Amino acid sequence: MAGTPASRNREYATAHESFLRHRGFRWAKVALGLCGFSLAVYFLTDPRPRPSGSTWIGYTLGTIGALLIVWLALLGVRKRAITPGRWSLKAWTSAHVYLGLSLIVVATLHTGFQLGWNVHTLAYVLMMLVIASGMFGIWAYASLPRALSDNREQMTQGQMIEALHALDRQLNDAAQPLDRARSDLVIAALAQDYFAGGIGRRLSGHYPAYATQAAVNALSLAGEGDAALDRVEKLLVRRKAMLDRLRRQMRIKAMLEVWLYVHVPATMALLAALTAHIISVFYYW
Amino acid sequence: MTFRIREIKRTAAGREIVRDRDLPGDALSIGRAAENDLHLPDLAVEPRHARITLNDAGRLSVAALGSLGFVVDGVDARAASIDSAVGAELGFGTWRITVSRDADGTVLLTLRQADDAATRSGDLEQKRGLSLAGVLPGKRAMSWLLAIVILIGFLAVPVISNLTRDRAAKGDAVIGDRSWNPGALSLAHHSLTDKCEACHIKPFEPVRDATCLSCHKDLQDHADPQRLAAAHGKLGVGDAALWSIAHAFGKEGPGACRDCHAEHQGQTRMAAPAQQFCADCHSSLKKNLPDTALGDASDFATVHPELTALVTTDPLSQARRAQPVGPGLREDNGLSFAHRLHLDPRGGVARMAASIGAMRGYGGSGLQCKDCHRPTEDGVRFQPVKMERDCEGCHSLAYDRVGGVVRKLHHGDVPQLMADLWAADWHRASPMAGLIDGRRRPGSAGQAMGVSGPFAFRYPAPVRPGLSVGAALSRQGICGECHRPATINGRPGVVPVRQPARYMMHGWFDHADHKQEKCTSCHAAAKSDTAADVLLPDLKSCRTCHAGEDAAAPKVPSTCAMCHGYHTVEHGSDRRDRAGG
Repeated sequence: MAGTPASRNREYATAHESFLRHRGFRWAKVALGLCGFSLAVYFLTDPRPRPSGSTWIGYTLGTIGALLIVWLALLGVRKRAITPGRWSLKAWTSAHVYLGLSLIVVATLHTGFQLGWNVHTLAYVLMMLVIASGMFGIWAYASLPRALSDNREQMTQGQMIEALHALDRQLNDAAQPLDRARSDLVIAALAQDYFAGGIGRRLSGHYPAYATQAAVNALSLAGEGDAALDRVEKLLVRRKAMLDRLRRQMRIKAMLEVWLYVHVPATMALLAALTAHIISVFYYW
Repeated sequence: MTFRIREIKRTAAGREIVRDRDLPGDALSIGRAAENDLHLPDLAVEPRHARITLNDAGRLSVAALGSLGFVVDGVDARAASIDSAVGAELGFGTWRITVSRDADGTVLLTLRQADDAATRSGDLEQKRGLSLAGVLPGKRAMSWLLAIVILIGFLAVPVISNLTRDRAAKGDAVIGDRSWNPGALSLAHHSLTDKCEACHIKPFEPVRDATCLSCHKDLQDHADPQRLAAAHGKLGVGDAALWSIAHAFGKEGPGACRDCHAEHQGQTRMAAPAQQFCADCHSSLKKNLPDTALGDASDFATVHPELTALVTTDPLSQARRAQPVGPGLREDNGLSFAHRLHLDPRGGVARMAASIGAMRGYGGSGLQCKDCHRPTEDGVRFQPVKMERDCEGCHSLAYDRVGGVVRKLHHGDVPQLMADLWAADWHRASPMAGLIDGRRRPGSAGQAMGVSGPFAFRYPAPVRPGLSVGAALSRQGICGECHRPATINGRPGVVPVRQPARYMMHGWFDHADHKQEKCTSCHAAAKSDTAADVLLPDLKSCRTCHAGEDAAAPKVPSTCAMCHGYHTVEHGSDRRDRAGG
């Protein structure tokens, strides 16, 4: 009986089911069914003069696609409404992911591969952009949190910043005996904004020669022996290590967040383009 | 060993008071209680919070004594080991203790009270800086901006422009509706590309047949609308459902212009309707429209009636009748002619063609089809055979020579012929005499007369000055070689010859498209001994190359529209230009 609690624990550990595996991939199966249906009606019929959005199949797939897009966008509303019980947000998210992916098939077949420079293709391109950013988001959520956690090493983000502040205060004190040129190096390092750099720096994590590094380089050449100098150099090295960690944190966080900066505005743009697409089609009916 | 404690306090005026004191010993205690070596008056600090011990190497060990930890360089800890040469910053509540070494090597602990607790987890503002919100515009703002730009540019501008434009003014086009164009217009309608409102007249109303007909004014109906509806038969359940939906959305049909002529399918010719459009009615036309004269047709390879040719039954009255094409089909076109005789490569005609080949352009191997049948300018059909051009090289109509001039009969003009023959000055000494009743060698007559025709016709013996008209027009006479004598309006003449350019009035055929074929692969002329043979290929012959719409190579996929018109049932095919193929 001794093993029971342990095995129960293990069961508990595996009882967590990600939104991707929800209910044995129920929504993946539904989405596959939808794709199968769309492919079947597309390839088993022979619309003339050619497949397009304006055949009955085109209208059918278009209606399904438009309703799906509106429902998928409602995830943003749903996740803000905390509801108990059967309407599980996990199920909703699972359906959001798989039905969203099935739109690739449904909407592409709706176009009949007739694309051009018009509002109709704009809606299609925006939709594909939303789906692509969503796919990146799934990848990010599946793989980055571990990297984020590894980088933190039990520090909170607030502590990382606090640690930098603490080092900065010590540097400020420790650098008091230094001569003008060297104190200028320390001042430059202290004046450096941790959060400087645009989206490119955030995502690449690549920051070319910065002040802390420059100060470390200059002071390490200054020679051994001077205790004050030695202390400042060691503090600068620690500051640099902490800054690097903060930047790794920012980079992973940026990767985790950036897709939503595409996904959400592109979704709203898509809803607008979809509205224009549908109204224009019936306006010039 | 000694600790040097430096307390920095700030007066109300903002002045700093720095007070140093040395604490001998290798350990000291920290806490809120007054008996501690370092007394930190702050409720967040425990009465006896931590203990610092110093070893010989100048290393400090800090250990928490109670349940609360402390902060080392911003990080929570319950124990820490610090090299005083490197230093560190300890945090207890709002108090910060900086560990370092003084100039004389003594371990220096600098106490300072900050405005906020070191233990609280970071500055919220600064934590926000870690996320992308610090470097990117907000999602909500971007969403609104993009959505509004799209709604204005792609919806509001065209709609407002459409509703407010001056319909009477020419050139007052709708602005921005080009982005609504789902695909290029067909070549014929290409000039309407930026004039959407030319066809899309009323918002939310489908393009009407009446709009198409406002330009295409002279289009004929395919059939009476009631007969069309009858021919359609009853719609299937699926089709009926689809049409009821279409009607709910205001569409016309079935049978509306756009049902067959789909626009915006690219800058090409508008695609010919699929064979199914025709087969919808014509596959069971006999059933739905019992009085029709047409056979059922749904696919050229499988269901199609035999071709029907309009053949002449009486050349005098020009009476014609539609007859199915086949090997036995005959007509009376008024001509006496044998294709076999003229095409036999080893016959007399071939020899003759060879001998005058240089003059007439005939080949060395006898007459070819092209020597007499000349295509029309567009290559679609053939010009009628002309006596003067195509026959007279051999069949000379010369009858007299006066001075250097050879006199010839006028083909096709009987009164002129009669006048010429009556007036002919007939005498034995005339150069024609030898032609008429003397023996001659082939070619000699032509040389003597200086004309190209080596043959002269057979004159019966003259009975009076001039030649006998009756004899010339008789079966044995000059005209009788190719024509039948007849009395027309009480006057002697010949049966008029009918050379139809077309036999199939409801279908389209283009000889130019069949250039790679030999004439004889469709027309069995070399085996025909009489002009009455209608040398048209039958359905079976066409099917050797042509099959239905879905035919696979090497057969030619052939829709109904390849040969038939829809709007131009009776004569329309005649008008169809080559590009219309």
